[in-house]
Amino acid sequence: MKTNPMNLPPMDQLDPVNALNMPETSDMTLAMDLLMRAKEGVRNTANALTESVLPQARVLLRGQLHQAIQLHQEIAELMVRKKWFHPHDLQEQYQLDQLSAHKTVQIAQMKLYPDDTRRMGMFDRTPDEHMEGSQA
Amino acid sequence: MPMAPGTLGAHEALEVHELLNFKTLCAAKSKLLQGLVFDQELKDLMEKDVQQSLRDISNLQSLYQKASFQTEIPEFRPTPILDKG
Repeated sequence: MKTNPMNLPPMDQLDPVNALNMPETSDMTLAMDLLMRAKEGVRNTANALTESVLPQARVLLRGQLHQAIQLHQEIAELMVRKKWFHPHDLQEQYQLDQLSAHKTVQIAQMKLYPDDTRRMGMFDRTPDEHMEGSQA
Repeated sequence: MPMAPGTLGAHEALEVHELLNFKTLCAAKSKLLQGLVFDQELKDLMEKDVQQSLRDISNLQSLYQKASFQTEIPEFRPTPILDKG
């Protein structure tokens, strides 16, 4: 019988089996984050360029836009080469999208941290607090 | 009200504000994530993003000084997170 990877039990963070392929999975996620930020950078810069009239601002933003496009291309090419991104194979991309969404949901549903992690007042004063401003 | 020549219009200043914060976050995040990444090439691209962001930030900072609302920058003294209640 074919197992459906979407119907796995909740993840156990202490089970070492979940560390299998962890570096690749995590790198893929972080690369996707970098790609999205590069893409946002292109869009934000282009947007800002259309809003500016000051010649100095336009020159600066046009330069930044070219660099942002270049960086986005480099990240996309790396991700295609590493098979983290499949712009030419939509079925592959579909599988990857679903699997990483599923895995991330599983991770997000685990209780990983203590309830109260407030560290209030640990570094709120210096020994020389009675002295003023930059003297303290 | 006519603008003094060489200053940023309100709409331009808004764009610079957004871009500057975006680049600051990119620099912070790419720097942080380099410590979590395993793949060397990916790390190198993140470092490239950091360097590019740093350059962009410094250029945007000088541009931002042309905003009509530019002012002196005080010392960084955040209010302590202290629950006195």
